[in-house]
Amino acid sequence: MKKLISLVIVLAMVLSMVSFASAEEWKFERKIELVCPWGLGGGADSTLRPLATLLQQKLGVPVEVRNETGGSGVNGIEYTYKQPADGYTFMLGTQSLFIQDMSDNTSMDFKTEFECIDVLVHSINMLAGSTKKMNEYGIKNFSDLKAYVAEHPWEVSVAMLTAVGVDGMCFEIATEGLDVNAVAYEGGSQVNADMAGGHVDLAVGGYDDMSGLIESGDIMPLLMFCEHRVSIFDSCECTAEVGINSFAGPWRGLFAKKGTPQGAIDTLVAAIEECRQDPVWQEFIHNAAYDEREVPAPGEATKQFVWQEYKDLRDYMFEQETLEKDYEDLK
Amino acid sequence: MFELIMNVLLFGFLGFTFFTHVLEAKVPKSFLKNPYNLKPDMWPKVIIGLLMICLAINIYRIIKKNKGKEDFNFKALLASAKDFLKSKMFLGMLIIAFAAAIIETVGFVVTVFIVLFLYGMLLGERRIVRLLIISVVLALLLQIIFGGLLDVVLPRGTVPFLRNFALWMENLI
Amino acid sequence: MSMGQMLVSGIQAVFGGGQFFMVVLAIVLGTVFGALPGVSATMAVALGLTFTYTMEPIAAIVFLVAIYCSSITGGSITAILFKIPGVPSSAPTTFDGYPMAQRGEAGKALGVALFTSAIGGLIAAIVMFLLSQPLSKAALAFGQGDMFAITFLGLSILTVLDMDNILTTIISGLLGLFLACIGTDPMAGVTRLTFGVRQLMSGIEMIPVLIGLFAVTEVLKQTNKNKKIDVDKNMQNAKVDTKMPTFKEMWEIKWVMLRCSIVGTVVGILPGAGATIASFMCYTMENKLSKYPEKFGTGIIDGIAASETANNAATGGAMVPLLTLGIPGGNAAAVMVSALALKGVQMGPLLLKNQPEYLSATFVTMIITNILMVIVAIGIAKVFAKILSIPYSFLGPIILCLALIGSYSEGGSAGVVIMCIAGVFGIIVKSMHLNSAAIVLGLVLGGMCEGFFSRAYLMNKANVFKVLFGTPIAAVVMTACILMLLSPLYLPLIKKLTGKKN
Repeated sequence: MKKLISLVIVLAMVLSMVSFASAEEWKFERKIELVCPWGLGGGADSTLRPLATLLQQKLGVPVEVRNETGGSGVNGIEYTYKQPADGYTFMLGTQSLFIQDMSDNTSMDFKTEFECIDVLVHSINMLAGSTKKMNEYGIKNFSDLKAYVAEHPWEVSVAMLTAVGVDGMCFEIATEGLDVNAVAYEGGSQVNADMAGGHVDLAVGGYDDMSGLIESGDIMPLLMFCEHRVSIFDSCECTAEVGINSFAGPWRGLFAKKGTPQGAIDTLVAAIEECRQDPVWQEFIHNAAYDEREVPAPGEATKQFVWQEYKDLRDYMFEQETLEKDYEDLK
Repeated sequence: MFELIMNVLLFGFLGFTFFTHVLEAKVPKSFLKNPYNLKPDMWPKVIIGLLMICLAINIYRIIKKNKGKEDFNFKALLASAKDFLKSKMFLGMLIIAFAAAIIETVGFVVTVFIVLFLYGMLLGERRIVRLLIISVVLALLLQIIFGGLLDVVLPRGTVPFLRNFALWMENLI
Repeated sequence: MSMGQMLVSGIQAVFGGGQFFMVVLAIVLGTVFGALPGVSATMAVALGLTFTYTMEPIAAIVFLVAIYCSSITGGSITAILFKIPGVPSSAPTTFDGYPMAQRGEAGKALGVALFTSAIGGLIAAIVMFLLSQPLSKAALAFGQGDMFAITFLGLSILTVLDMDNILTTIISGLLGLFLACIGTDPMAGVTRLTFGVRQLMSGIEMIPVLIGLFAVTEVLKQTNKNKKIDVDKNMQNAKVDTKMPTFKEMWEIKWVMLRCSIVGTVVGILPGAGATIASFMCYTMENKLSKYPEKFGTGIIDGIAASETANNAATGGAMVPLLTLGIPGGNAAAVMVSALALKGVQMGPLLLKNQPEYLSATFVTMIITNILMVIVAIGIAKVFAKILSIPYSFLGPIILCLALIGSYSEGGSAGVVIMCIAGVFGIIVKSMHLNSAAIVLGLVLGGMCEGFFSRAYLMNKANVFKVLFGTPIAAVVMTACILMLLSPLYLPLIKKLTGKKN
């Protein structure tokens, strides 16, 4: 018996060595391209660029960000899809690409043709109020807001970047049964300007977009879409404690086209792991408050996470009657 | 005559879109729930409507202005269409359209070479060898400067060996 | 901190420790980048990021601001020489700049563009430094309804763009607005008018349309009369004049520069609206105020001055919301924000309270950049102007290749197709007697206009009157719009009356 066990252990060790070696064998030899489906200076781009710089140091080959913009991210997907899956092209993605997929705006089935290999950041959405307006209405917290909205249907407006995307879904769940104007804005800067000027009452968005105006007191956080209170604003309630089942927040992950060599993926994921330990990256994610929420570990956990995100969005779109393409395993 | 036909065509096209293609997807339920939302087809429909009114006036104006003029008939139009098809401008359009059609497949360098060479010929350059050499050199130079030095996004092409060539050029600098 | 102290700290930031050398480098890089088609101001700033990774935050913003200002100016070079506007806001520069270059006065046109850009930039910088706090407050006073009114004002100048052909100009403008509707609607995210073409989902990309409508159409037109070009043009081109404008000529347009600087700065402060409205607005304004309006569009320095002063002043104006509120007015400013965020600098209203040296450093950089830029850019422009002496059988195809680069980098292969269609469309437009400038104006402002209107409509509970006249700003601006729109109806009447009196 002992012999058998030791044999199994040795075999397991050898096997793991082999698989380890195969990952080790992959060495990037030329420029790696990280496709960003959104434009320069946007949130996605500004997450990807610092990472690219760090990866370049760790991997020893040039790592270039290529912005393939347009079509709400679809052009980036199509571009990446056209590149050979040789391990030198990866793409940044967020759950908003899933919406494009299920709206049938992509030429392929994104869900099956692409795999999320690593989630880089997972930020927390929040509902914030324009301080000017909140003082006018006498609102101090989320329950005040609910009471006020119930008395004043269609009078309170909330700004968000896409009224039918993740922000909209968050808010929809949190204010179920209440009549609030969801106002779609074209850019974060306009949301901020209107919030500071008191032209719109509320906004849903990531902390990183509003941090400056929160510090100065022009915007006040009302509710965090999170499982726990957030350390930077521990006086602000979170959805879990007020009994709202809405936790979706924008996240950004790296995607690989199906058929990309596993060695390349493993090597890249390992390098990203190294970057995470780098003080430059840590400072970056701390400044944007991305460190308030754990990201799923690469591999099975990421897969499960992505599936759940797909599922939530699918159900939301089904409810909104905008679902154009359905997947069997999501029904 | 051409002006009239284009105006009529545009009028017809707009009429067709007005009724068929203004909205192409379903409006989300939560959006419809709010009675104060401006429906997404409202703005384009107003614009198309105004545009059609203006076009109608314009068509009337053109007919009134040109009535009885000698070249205001289909025969003259056909003749000028023939002239156009033989003109250098039409060939130029074809070259540009050809470039747009192939740029994704064959990539930047080859497309630029073709444009430089064909358009140069079209513009009356007769020293073929000289043109050929300059086209090749310029195509490579533009790729190196824009693709390599400045990291401007340029198409590499999907044909494997052309793609590899483009990658090699990009890594040159 | 007093004004004087701030100034000293700003000068220290720019001149201290070899920083000045970096500023000069930034100006050279920025001008060259800006002058190359396909490299937008945003890209120029992003390219500049590579240099800033090791810099201190203030040094980084000094470097990036210098690149930003000079690249916007550099963009006018291609607009004048090749009719390729690098950004929508330099589209009006082509109206007079390109005809001048065609006449062999490229040097003069470039000189005017660079000099007036600098003036616009300088005035905007001074205004920013002295009035940033009250200005940012004023910018915040603009709600969605007010923004709609301003954008609509930008559109109403359509009717005065070409008084003689009012109907076709309006048709052109509406056509532009119609094209702007293509793609996803701003509120519900529903696709419209795409006819199932996926590339149209996010709407029609601006830059490829501009390049097609201006540059490609021009090359096509030249192709037809190319016999003449080969003989005459070459003769003419052989002596491309790089002579700069004289002081007297510049002095004659002093009021143009002053007016456009002020309008440009003010419009530039509004987040999102910015430089494009400013340059179109000033171009038309100067056309109306001019003693010789018929010369506009035939290549006079007033036209170039109006457009270039305005768009550079607007660029300076856009720094106000960025520094005082942390609200970037455009993509290039957004790149700067992310560069600073990487260094742990939080942009927001507190920045100026806690670290006023950001404002003073930016101010001094803008002043230095705008002065040095004239010298650097004139040198670069002279080299570029020489390009025009190449025979057209080479120059034409080269312009097409630059157009390919520009449109691909902004819209991918779909951008190239759009450019191609727009080029042919430009020829058709001409034969239909439509006005391509009006189409561009409609296309650029259409999306914004609809967005502002829909949001204001919703927030005012679908009360259109309240949207249009609900606030003092909106009411005043909308009244001005209506007066302008109806001017073709009553102006002849007034003329008749006053004429009778005389």
